[in-house]
Amino acid sequence: MRMVLFAVETALKSLWHEKWINLLTVLSISIGLLIISAFAAITQNLDSVLKRWSRDFGLVVYLKDDLSSEAEDTLKAFFQNDSDIREIRYISKEQAIEDLRLTLGRQKSVLEGFDNNPLPSSFELTLKSELLNAAYVERKASEIKALNGVDDVQYGEKWLSSLSALANIMKVSAAFLGGAVFIAIAFITYSTIKIFFYRRKDEIETLKLLGATASFIRLPFLLEGLIIGVMAGVLSSIGLFSAYELIVSKVSEFLPSINIVMVPLTLKAYFPAPLAGALMSFLGSIVAVGKIKY
Amino acid sequence: MIQFINVSKSYDGDIVLKDVSFTIEKGEFAFLTGPSGVGKTTLLKLIYCAERADTGEIVVGGWDLKKIRQRTIPYLRRSVGVVFQDFRLLMNKSVFDNVALALRIHDMHPQEIKQYVGDVLREVKLKHKENILPEHLSGGEQQRVVIARAMVSKPTVILADEPTGNLDADTSKAIMGLFREINARGATVLIATHNDSLFHGMGRRVFYLKDAHIEKEVVE
Ligand SMILES: Nc1ncnc2c1ncn2[C@@H]1O[C@H](COP(=O)(O)OP(=O)(O)OP(=O)(O)O)[C@@H](O)[C@H]1O
Ligand SMILES: [Mg+2]
Repeated sequence: MRMVLFAVETALKSLWHEKWINLLTVLSISIGLLIISAFAAITQNLDSVLKRWSRDFGLVVYLKDDLSSEAEDTLKAFFQNDSDIREIRYISKEQAIEDLRLTLGRQKSVLEGFDNNPLPSSFELTLKSELLNAAYVERKASEIKALNGVDDVQYGEKWLSSLSALANIMKVSAAFLGGAVFIAIAFITYSTIKIFFYRRKDEIETLKLLGATASFIRLPFLLEGLIIGVMAGVLSSIGLFSAYELIVSKVSEFLPSINIVMVPLTLKAYFPAPLAGALMSFLGSIVAVGKIKY
Repeated sequence: MIQFINVSKSYDGDIVLKDVSFTIEKGEFAFLTGPSGVGKTTLLKLIYCAERADTGEIVVGGWDLKKIRQRTIPYLRRSVGVVFQDFRLLMNKSVFDNVALALRIHDMHPQEIKQYVGDVLREVKLKHKENILPEHLSGGEQQRVVIARAMVSKPTVILADEPTGNLDADTSKAIMGLFREINARGATVLIATHNDSLFHGMGRRVFYLKDAHIEKEVVE
């Protein structure tokens, strides 16, 4: 235990003694971490946009014009029995034209040219959100289209597929980038600790001759690596937080809709990168110190 | 306490020690002498495993150095206090911290460390300079710091390599007095020196190293 305290003291002294190199190391690592965090934040936002949007995502099932109300009821019962469907809303021809009038507002006069209602009645189906991937929705749509009395099925297929593809691309590149940056962090700490280790080579040799164990010699360097990683992590989290606040507050002045897109970052967004950074930094210093030979 | 059996050591083919055998008993006070470059330092290094013998057997305390494991070496070294010929003081640490280091690696309580280091610095008459960096000390004072560091943890063996290197006769005498003191408390002491005035008339065993072997062993 005292050995740990002494190691902490030695590590802190060394951190202070070599403050410029350490500052540089911390900054480099925190920039790396910030890049990862930013990527993760964007991915998280995109994900939430996708989720939010898909909550309202619906299939619109247009019915054939001459369908009897029994046939409509049959279809409705069919949809009710489908456990993938969360919500069913029936929109009659009359309701549809009323909706359209409301939407058109002052331009509603364009509808006056029609003698009878040209709009079909329809069902709006909402799918369970966990089922919302492009392939599934497409299959579901064609299944429904094949049903008796269904004229056409429409949904935002372009949106759905491109958004989820984008989210996937973001996730994969975040993983790649994250891996690369983490390895870079280990390398950065590795070289810094290696420099310190060489600078203190004589001292280490003396310690060994006096009877210091390998862990006694190693521990201060490992702690130093760990502290560097933690400081860089904290710094990057502060950076992420400020950048995020800035974007939300400043950008929303010009572009209010950003509030719809941006979700507040959860604590989950602030912890993993610093933790992983500290871990990688620690690993870097373990490799840098290597095996102490007697 | 220290036993060499047919020990040989060479550096890159240059034979320094060849078939060296001797035994130093527990509590003995002995000398190792010979001209410069003969291998005195090398022989001492073999005892605390800073160098390894090519052939032969070395036993120190209970340890057979041929079979000693890497992780056991620190514990061997803690029981052997060494006064290095080149001092090996840490120049960025105070006199106190240099001496304390030998105890910190023992995981000793800071309060105890303070007490032990204070006592030993008083003994080598350097208590008043404990906060000074070694570079601001004279050669003789640095020498005494090294001796203090070697004895502070009360090791069972003390090896001193040219401990009076370039000190005047009076200071040398004082330092030899210190070693006699340590020896009187039970430590085995081996001093390597080419200064024969250190052991003349002491009535101790002196090993004469010459041409890679122990040429003679005399009580002087
Ligand atoms: N690490 C080393 N590598 C190669 N040769 C060495 C090494 N250490 C010592 N030697 C050689 O071994 C021989 C013995 O050296 P050593 O230091 O043991 O002599 P010494 O008796 O202590 O001399 P001095 O009285 O000058 O201190 C010398 O010739 C020296 O050059
Ligand atoms: Mg020598």
